[in-house]
Amino acid sequence: MLSRWVTVAYLAYLGLPIALLFTGSFGDLWLNTLLPTGATFRWYREVAADPSFRRAFSTSLSVAVATSVACLAVGLPLAYAVYRTQSAKLRAAARVLYQLPVALPPLVLAFGFILVFSSDTLPWLGSIWLLIAGHIVLCLPYFLQTVVADMQRLGLRALEDAAESLGSSAPQRFMHIVVPALRHSVLSGLIVVTALSIGEFQFSNLVSGFLNRTYPVVLLQAFYGATGFACAATVILLLLALAASFSAAYSARGAARASVAGA
Amino acid sequence: MSGTASVRIANASFSYPGGKAGIFDLSLDIAPGELVVCIGPSGCGKTTLLKMIAGFLPCASGRVLLDGEDVTGVAVRERQCGIVFQSYALFPHMRVWENVAYPLRVRDVPISERQRRAEEMLDLVGLGGYGMRLPSELSGGQQQRVALARALVFKPRVLLLDEPLSALDAATRLSMRDEIRRIQKQQNIASLLITHDQDEALSLADRIAILREGRLVQVAAPKSMYDKPADAFVASFIGRANLLDGTVVGPHAVDTPIGRIATIEHALPGGAAVRLLVRPEKIVPVRIDADASPGENNFAVRVLHDRFFGASREIELSVGQGLLKIDTASREDITHVHVPRDAVQFLPTH
Repeated sequence: MLSRWVTVAYLAYLGLPIALLFTGSFGDLWLNTLLPTGATFRWYREVAADPSFRRAFSTSLSVAVATSVACLAVGLPLAYAVYRTQSAKLRAAARVLYQLPVALPPLVLAFGFILVFSSDTLPWLGSIWLLIAGHIVLCLPYFLQTVVADMQRLGLRALEDAAESLGSSAPQRFMHIVVPALRHSVLSGLIVVTALSIGEFQFSNLVSGFLNRTYPVVLLQAFYGATGFACAATVILLLLALAASFSAAYSARGAARASVAGA
Repeated sequence: MSGTASVRIANASFSYPGGKAGIFDLSLDIAPGELVVCIGPSGCGKTTLLKMIAGFLPCASGRVLLDGEDVTGVAVRERQCGIVFQSYALFPHMRVWENVAYPLRVRDVPISERQRRAEEMLDLVGLGGYGMRLPSELSGGQQQRVALARALVFKPRVLLLDEPLSALDAATRLSMRDEIRRIQKQQNIASLLITHDQDEALSLADRIAILREGRLVQVAAPKSMYDKPADAFVASFIGRANLLDGTVVGPHAVDTPIGRIATIEHALPGGAAVRLLVRPEKIVPVRIDADASPGENNFAVRVLHDRFFGASREIELSVGQGLLKIDTASREDITHVHVPRDAVQFLPTH
């Protein structure tokens, strides 16, 4: 009984600010009242028409997609190398190294980037490529975590050995065994990466240039203006993040089902 | 003789970096249709040997021949060894029939024939009608059968089984043991089965190969290995054994911790150190009146442990300064035992 009330209270605590954001985004006027007055779509129209928001939205999407592609291209071979390493020490060291960004505040990484890339030899601060590079460092650990765990659960090594003994060549093993067996965890890893990249603020706020600010960075500016406008802009980010999380959860369930088959 | 062996391992060696572990100058032939069971304590190199035959590990020296062809430098996938892995290693994303047909798929066999041959193999292993299931929907024993079907469908030169029964529960293990034997005989394929279970070795094998620290200790048929073990290690690894260290005191007698034992005639000089083997089931409980003289090879005993298994009892006895294990069907209290002369074997001392 108590646990039910705790749950309800927690959900209210979690949901109320979001519900207020929704209400505010459709409210015409919201000054010194508990709830806004009047109903309108104009805040959404204004956000959609705002050039800096349009720009930020497409920057965020490009950065998220580029980060995901890079995580796939770098992360899958890296995960495979970590999984296949014979030496337990090397494996542990690799794990500590790639988990480091999880423990470090993104702020630290940002200061590091600012120091290194505002120098005369490497004057790249403010470019979108630097932004993407930082997002890769921040997101890759979560991708590796998901994929390496799935490789271990499946016993990928034994599956590959079996395929090899049955006459399968290296490219065939990759296409017939590795990719299909890992498809669920790779997909859910990628969606987690996308969601993290879209929502990232600390690092992007310090490192992005004026012309390629990401959506959360621009969003902060909105709170200095009209409340309804800020709410609408936030709701858009929220929907984007929710969409990514739901598809991540969905594909994670698929991965769990597939790994039961491997047990 | 040499031309007919399906598998020939000739003076093969492999050692793991740094360690003493590995395989050292090992030679073993497996005849067509023969099932050799390789057994030994953990870390003795059983699995290393299997990996060398399959090609997962290279030979540092020596050669591996399959059907007379030297495959020492040949890649795993071209060796055509059917392997049943300890973990089964079924592909979780493929249906049962696709698992079985996979070796045919990589050999570009047309799909209709793949399906037909997979169904045939599934029928053979008793899984007809299970083709459309996923591996996760099968029990451990059924997964084992799928692994066996997949290892045999492409007519490999040799079947290698790496502790195939160790992951199964006791009841399934017994029936799968018979199934493996039946299918192996039906396919008439040279096979090497790795195990650490002596019952499995004794009941399955045409020949048993005992491995210890990377070297073969003895290769023999189960009965002769049990009756004529090469040394004390084999004697105690295959079956239960009483090992008695003693000193020769005459052409028919040895002094041991349990007392003086009369043996069959031997040519050893007096004073020589010997090691005797007596199998526990050969020792018989006897009744001797307290005032009668004990007689030859009869010993007064004290019971230390008495384990009852229904059909038999395993009893540990204190005899003189030593210990004896006996297996008996007798329900009587045990005060004396008789060790028949011809049950006493001489083993080499190390």
